Amino acid sequence: MNEHSTEHENAHAPAGLGRLTAPGWLRVLWVTPLFFGLGLGLPVLIRWLAGWDPVWKGSVLVTVELVTTPFGFLAGIGGFDYWAHYASGRPTQVDDHSGHGARSWRDYFRINTDHKVIGVQYLVTTIIFFCIGGMLAMLFRAELAQPGDQYFNPQTFNVLISNHAALMIFLFVIPAFAGLGNYVIPLMIGAADMAFPRLNALSFWLLPIAGVMLIAGMVVPGGGPSAGWTCYAPLCSHQPLGQVFFNMGVQWAGASSIMTALNFLVTIITMRAPGMTFWRMPLLVWANFTTSMLVVIATPFIAGSQFFVMFDRVLHTNFFEQGGGGYVLGYQHIFWFYSHPAVYIMMLPGFGIISEVIAVMSRKPVFGYRLMALSLMAILVLGFSVWAHHMFVAGMAGWLRVPMMVTSMVIAVPTGIKIFSWLATMWEGRIRFSTPMLFALGFLSMFVIGGLSGIYLASVPIDIHASDTYFIVAHIHYVLFGGSVFTIFAGIYYWFPKMTGRMYDERLGKLHFWLTFIGFNLTFFPMHYIGLQGMPRRVADYATRFADINLFISIASFGLGASTLVFLYNMIRSWAHGPLAPGNPWRAMTLEWQVSSPPPVFNFDEIPQVVGGPYEYGVPGARHAILGAPAPVLEPAGAD
Amino acid sequence: MRRGSLIQLTAIALVAGAVCTAVALAVPWLPLDAGREAGRIHFVFWFTTAICIGVFSVVTAVLVYSVWKFRAGPDDDSDGPPVHGHTGIEIAWTAVPAVLVTAISIVSAIVLAENGDAGSNPLKIKVTAQQFAWSFTYPNGKTYGSLTLPTGRHTKLDISSNDVIHSFWVPQLSQKQDAVPGQHNSLVITPTRTGIFPVVCTELCGLGHALMRSHVEIMSPAGFAAWQKGSAAVAAGPPGLAAYQQNGCGGCHTLKAAGSAGKVGPDLDNLPAYATQAKRGPLAAFIKESIVNPGAYLQPGFPDAMPHIYASQIPSDKLAQLVQYLAGGGK
Repeated sequence: MNEHSTEHENAHAPAGLGRLTAPGWLRVLWVTPLFFGLGLGLPVLIRWLAGWDPVWKGSVLVTVELVTTPFGFLAGIGGFDYWAHYASGRPTQVDDHSGHGARSWRDYFRINTDHKVIGVQYLVTTIIFFCIGGMLAMLFRAELAQPGDQYFNPQTFNVLISNHAALMIFLFVIPAFAGLGNYVIPLMIGAADMAFPRLNALSFWLLPIAGVMLIAGMVVPGGGPSAGWTCYAPLCSHQPLGQVFFNMGVQWAGASSIMTALNFLVTIITMRAPGMTFWRMPLLVWANFTTSMLVVIATPFIAGSQFFVMFDRVLHTNFFEQGGGGYVLGYQHIFWFYSHPAVYIMMLPGFGIISEVIAVMSRKPVFGYRLMALSLMAILVLGFSVWAHHMFVAGMAGWLRVPMMVTSMVIAVPTGIKIFSWLATMWEGRIRFSTPMLFALGFLSMFVIGGLSGIYLASVPIDIHASDTYFIVAHIHYVLFGGSVFTIFAGIYYWFPKMTGRMYDERLGKLHFWLTFIGFNLTFFPMHYIGLQGMPRRVADYATRFADINLFISIASFGLGASTLVFLYNMIRSWAHGPLAPGNPWRAMTLEWQVSSPPPVFNFDEIPQVVGGPYEYGVPGARHAILGAPAPVLEPAGAD
Repeated sequence: MRRGSLIQLTAIALVAGAVCTAVALAVPWLPLDAGREAGRIHFVFWFTTAICIGVFSVVTAVLVYSVWKFRAGPDDDSDGPPVHGHTGIEIAWTAVPAVLVTAISIVSAIVLAENGDAGSNPLKIKVTAQQFAWSFTYPNGKTYGSLTLPTGRHTKLDISSNDVIHSFWVPQLSQKQDAVPGQHNSLVITPTRTGIFPVVCTELCGLGHALMRSHVEIMSPAGFAAWQKGSAAVAAGPPGLAAYQQNGCGGCHTLKAAGSAGKVGPDLDNLPAYATQAKRGPLAAFIKESIVNPGAYLQPGFPDAMPHIYASQIPSDKLAQLVQYLAGGGK
């Protein structure tokens, strides 16, 4: 296979002027300005022809450019080449693998159709945005160390909090799970790649666009997006120009998310190896299957909400403008119809990771496997019926409160089943406290706290007191940091040997865990208290009686931020110099561990035959799959 | 499960429960309750806390026990017992949490209904939010920048907004309600304790959000009646000051004479200097233009953040009083 694809690449290797038209960074350099010019010229031309004054209108041009320029970049780097060739009738080769796999570091910086390369691209990119988002948090924690205005004016402060949340949610947690899923899912189900490798490549390259757009929005003249990540209308429609960068950045991230989810769904439904029935799938695959359904159904709603507020601003529509007959709370209903399921989009893949790690590290089958899978499906269904618990004080229809409270409470039941089943999985196991397991245990304890504070907030009367205070800030960080981020770390450490072919440093991994765990609790636990006592969220200035505790929180948060340095050092050094990893360092049963580390370009030399469940630890003679058995011949002999 | 391990588990759970209970009781988690609704909300809070401590203690006990007892030795390559599940246990941990959350839901629903009941003769007050100030209009038509309430009587607030979404909250009264433009939302509070408590805006509403504060003074019924009679006399002062306070100018601006210290917009004690710098006509004309058309001239160093609502919001006589007041440096 390897030689085969190398030949392909050589055959296509461009020379001379051809390098300017071949997909890649050189073509980006001239196609992007070309599309930029189009985005500038078309509106100006139309306005000039129509006689509209002024011909140059900043807000219009910026909105159009935020669509056209990224398309120029994508066209330049080659995201659309195959489809463009097909549409224009030029010859295409369906099984063209010239863009597949990585032979040097350069292959990570181009359109690459290998799900393993894309997985790594996703993870590295999202970790960069995680660091940027974290640094924004350090900046506003510095401001919050004392009451009064120290370093930032209210505008800058609001930009910092808005972009911290937006980067962490849209460019770290959601796509980091997409990256881990991308790497692991095809391997776990015994497939050679994702169902749509070219779509997969495109969906990754939308991500840096979204991130650059959000960050660029912070520094545009007039001020960045400062209406919070929730971006409520009508405040958001009357913000400085940077707000449009936010509205559009979310669109690009959302489009990336939808494409990946479609790809996961089709891959999981159609590309499972022989014998891999749904009830033999690892729970990570189940988790991504349900998550992908959430993404596909819910994400169009946030796209709608962001388009509508932007239209209110740029096109002078009145979706949410009360003066023009719009429905102000309509924004929140549409926004939360995505953004509550988004909480599960940010949690269910983590549940999957934890199921893998706990079963393997405890050397026991997952307790109640079927109920674990079914509870994922229950969360999927219930997740669409709880959005209005974000709006208990918003002034929505009063009768909606109690039903939404009940559904929000009921969702604790499937979540509880998962927690108890993980505990039962560990019970009487042979537990190994490797770094992934430490993060899994940290997740379990922190997520229980986040889940229980969620019960408080589901109760309408308590929520009326606590909503929009620091209690909410504490709750979401226990769920999204103590929950999601801990599982992402568990996943990164767990699959690091598989992805890089090298082992990470276990001592540094444990140091990272303890610094993160302690720093996290010192930072976020006191926030419950100041919130209940009366400190609202999203304020640069606060009552002096909260001064001491805020100083404490700020110092703790700097420690939490510094713990990331240990992680980065460990990852970078181990990737370059770590000891070589065996194919299956954890003695796991799932398929990704049955191939070399890192796996061959097309994953499996022969298609595996799945013969049993994925977690049959301790069952004498049990096997999940048979590799290297005579498999159905799919290619003519001698194709290699 | 052996009896010994069950005893150990129970012991850990009891210790965890005791520690959690101590933390719950030793830290003053909730503010003083100054209203009947707050008292009920505090009850739901403690009811939920009791259940949560129970759940947390059980989870902690199993977690701690597992970490303690089931640690594999360094050379131990064996697997655990191949237990795949247990239908009885799985039914139990589905049913028990379901019962617990149902109990919390029922208590919450009852309290919610009680807290929405304004009785037959509530004191009705209109609350208007705008960037970045509150105003409170009483049945007698008088409007104030802060809220005054009697104890022991239901008060029904009719909450609305002139611009973006704000949220009315008094931590000691626990009740909270968003102020939404074009909508009239109601909120019931029944004060039980006299004192002065902060009114906090909890919904991000723009640059002055952190400064959008007022206060509520809760009086005895007799004191409240006396306040209502005497308030006309007390509220005297330059007529422009009333306009200054009602329109929330102090949320963003500093003006010593009015006791405001906002820093979002220019310092109004420097108006004469700004007017000279701006070269847009005499002081009074400059001030008027800056109020009705705030973007026309921007003082360097400040954002174009002032709402464009005052041209339509302030009646012309009040506007003239406000301009005169500001031109005179707050006299």
